[in-house]
Amino acid sequence: MKLGKAVWMSFIYIVLTSFALVYLMPFLRSAVASFMSWEQASKYPPEWIPNPSTLENYVKLVRLKLFWRWILNSSLYAGIVVAGNIVFTSMAGFAFARLRFIGRDFIFSALQALMMIPGFVTLVPNYIIIYRLGLVDNIVGLAILGIVNVSSIFLMRQYFLNLPEEIFEAARLDGCEPIKMFFYIAFPLAKPAVGAIAVYQFLGAWNAFLGPLIFLRSPENFTIPVGLSFAFQRSMWVEYTPLIAGSLIASLPTIVLFILLNKYLIKGIVVTGGKG
Amino acid sequence: MPLKVNKLFTPFFIEKKSTRENLEAFILVSTAVFFNLFFGYFSAFFAVYLSFLDWDYIGPMRFVGLKNYVTMMNDLLRGMFGSSYFIAPFFTGLKNIVIYTAIVVPVQTFLAIVLAVLANQAVKGIQVFKVSYFLPATTCPVIISLIFIWLFMKNGFINYALGSFIPSFHPDWLNDRNYILPAMGLVAIWGTSGHFFISFLAALQALPREVYEAAILDGAGTIRRFFHITIPMLRPMITYVIVMGIIGALQMFDLAWVMAGSGGGPGGAGYTIAMDIYNEAFLKLRPGVAAAKSMLLFTIIFSTTYIYQRRYGGGIR
Repeated sequence: MKLGKAVWMSFIYIVLTSFALVYLMPFLRSAVASFMSWEQASKYPPEWIPNPSTLENYVKLVRLKLFWRWILNSSLYAGIVVAGNIVFTSMAGFAFARLRFIGRDFIFSALQALMMIPGFVTLVPNYIIIYRLGLVDNIVGLAILGIVNVSSIFLMRQYFLNLPEEIFEAARLDGCEPIKMFFYIAFPLAKPAVGAIAVYQFLGAWNAFLGPLIFLRSPENFTIPVGLSFAFQRSMWVEYTPLIAGSLIASLPTIVLFILLNKYLIKGIVVTGGKG
Repeated sequence: MPLKVNKLFTPFFIEKKSTRENLEAFILVSTAVFFNLFFGYFSAFFAVYLSFLDWDYIGPMRFVGLKNYVTMMNDLLRGMFGSSYFIAPFFTGLKNIVIYTAIVVPVQTFLAIVLAVLANQAVKGIQVFKVSYFLPATTCPVIISLIFIWLFMKNGFINYALGSFIPSFHPDWLNDRNYILPAMGLVAIWGTSGHFFISFLAALQALPREVYEAAILDGAGTIRRFFHITIPMLRPMITYVIVMGIIGALQMFDLAWVMAGSGGGPGGAGYTIAMDIYNEAFLKLRPGVAAAKSMLLFTIIFSTTYIYQRRYGGGIR
């Protein structure tokens, strides 16, 4: 029995570890290859140690001015989306969770119903609206589409519902007005939910592709995913290695964010995932 | 979901202020309502309207009834009678995405369950596994695709790694019409299974231990416990994961756009519906036809997930 358990446990660890290797391998391979010449990175069988080790790929990347523009645009886009979601969805989530007003439940379910409509349906009409507003090829025009996300409202409302009711009732009894209550009591208490929303929206905006591809037209306005795919399709570099280096740099923010906040993020996935 | 409104605790002095509360509440929800009304509801209804119009963004809008839908159906019919990708792109995209969904969703769900069950029994290092499995899910699909293009090259790393198991297997994944769709499927499975692994692991950790202890006392082995206890008790989560998987897979765009190129790769073997809607709207400049196609995509997504939830989703509302 003891022996059987030991065999079983080692089996489990072997399987889990090999899958961990499978999931991490592309990252490891590209980290190594970003220091190789393309000649070496495309060798068969593959080599693991950069020889000679070169920074050439990163130099090529740095020399491309557009690359920094793309990083900057992505940061701007993610910044606007994150800020908008923090402010607007916490306000709405608080109102839906803790205030009594006419049509509250109706409005909330109407918003929730929007989650069922796939993005492809509203894509073309939204393009037309943004076009009419004269905001095509503009990061702001792209960002206002994502500034109030319904799932963020949902998460915020859920969070405020789970706070003890007494806090808000006490404030009411003291004659605190709803908006004041939001700014002085609710919002300062909502740090965990605000953090979760900030991280999800950052990941969403940083990784977004279809929206930026449609709404941004000129290369100097691209975000990093659109830019990199553009660089690939236009064959900006003869070799593939600068693209690998670029991919690594572009995914660095999300990787660092994830490694720093993984416990927190994973918990958030569980909370939102379970509720559907 | 019923809202918890404490009726007993609504004294008269709060009632008196309700106009004020109404006003301030409307201020708080106004931005959320405005943006979603505009970019959500207005756009959705506009999309329906658009699907009956013949328009090129600039000229006058002409109401053409069902013409766009007829165009779409003709494409589908031509495809069914064996026309090639160039004549029936929408059919090709639909066919590809159905095959792709049929590969990706079962495999990623199964993989996520198995890994979660195993990780649930491991004593140490769960966090390490969680982080490494989940990392692909937080990385940009475009960046993942770019890296995998390199790994999938004929003399690339994946052929090398597979070569040690199956020596004669050496396809040129992305330039072979038989392998490009499976290649994208593999990337998608690699990219999303970690996310669902986390969902399953959380569901597993919430399961009552007593049931397992009783089963062990009754002499049920590991495999039987897995199939007769774990799987049935995980059913709400399995339904959720499959529904989310289907929704995501049917709309797949990023991977195909980068890995197969905007034309859909060799013989259109990597073309998807989403790409066709994009091309229709922004390349051929026929937003009406694009809207009609997006209506069909919406119907497919909605009906599959609805039917699936009705049949299997006991635990989900």
